[in-house]
Amino acid sequence: MTPSNPEAWRTASDVPESIRGPLGKLLLSLADNKRLLGMRYSEWILGAPTLEAGIACSAMAQDEWGHGRILYAMLKDFGYDPGALEHEREAAEYLSSELLDTQPDDWPTMLALNALLDTALTVQCEALTESRFAPLHYKVSKLLDEERFHFEHARGWTVRLAETETGRNALGDAFTAAAGPCLRWFGSAGGDIGSALATEGVVDGDPNALRERWFDRVGPLLEQVGASVPPSTELGWPDWDDGRRRTGAGGPDPDTLARVRGDKNRAMLMD
Amino acid sequence: MGRLSGEKLYEIFARQKREDRFEHVGTVQAPGPELARVYAWQTYDEAKWFEMIVASRDAFHPVNRDESPFTLHPTEIS
Repeated sequence: MTPSNPEAWRTASDVPESIRGPLGKLLLSLADNKRLLGMRYSEWILGAPTLEAGIACSAMAQDEWGHGRILYAMLKDFGYDPGALEHEREAAEYLSSELLDTQPDDWPTMLALNALLDTALTVQCEALTESRFAPLHYKVSKLLDEERFHFEHARGWTVRLAETETGRNALGDAFTAAAGPCLRWFGSAGGDIGSALATEGVVDGDPNALRERWFDRVGPLLEQVGASVPPSTELGWPDWDDGRRRTGAGGPDPDTLARVRGDKNRAMLMD
Repeated sequence: MGRLSGEKLYEIFARQKREDRFEHVGTVQAPGPELARVYAWQTYDEAKWFEMIVASRDAFHPVNRDESPFTLHPTEIS
């Protein structure tokens, strides 16, 4: 679908009720994951292996937080209160990947977020560039432009670490651990949400199609470090919550939650 | 943080408009041109650049001086 398509939805109120809920959840999932991913990047500004990598983490954190802010703001038209979304929710209300629940222990685990999860979010955003929901077009294309160097950062570091056996093994383990959650993040094949959004032209591919696009992008990196990735058809789905796009009933840990909500600054909120 | 082995210095040039001349905007340290590009773009983001390019410092050859190009002080010689 293109913006000129007569069937395009120009405002949230144009979106049929049956799709408004799933679309709002998709935007909230992207916003939450980007907000938390930005926080994970920010935690490495001073701890990255080189000064340049720390600056790269700072830039990527700013990008993700900016994207999160744009997406939260869009949700106002879907009946959400953006201020409450950003500052007042409990952990179990976040639609964020389990990979973001806790701070990465080491640089390879951070790179797994950079290479695999960030790319999953980008693949999902790319699938919205010609969405039937027209307000997404400009916002998503601007956002994708800023994402351009995130994957290149991950690829550069994968090549770098793969030069040594120690680095290759560490990154292989981190990628193996993150691959399953990233593949599942696109949603279960039979799930109502992803399939409905694809059928209605909101997203230009169903969860299986998006998984394939993600694998096409990250496959060479996974192979380079010998990561073990289950075929999509053999993915396990125990405790999967299609509404929150994650495994398990948890959420960001208490420290993460306090920081991402800005609890310490609550008295100074000025929105 | 420190220098990882095998890293090189890359010089960064950029211009804000097509009709501008390139200006030398800075330096990054990276293991190869791929990461040098990423670091350059993410570090020197003070302007909305029309074009940015990077080249390893050892790609430049001195013409009228014997010391390495871009050297401001002897301690900076890599």
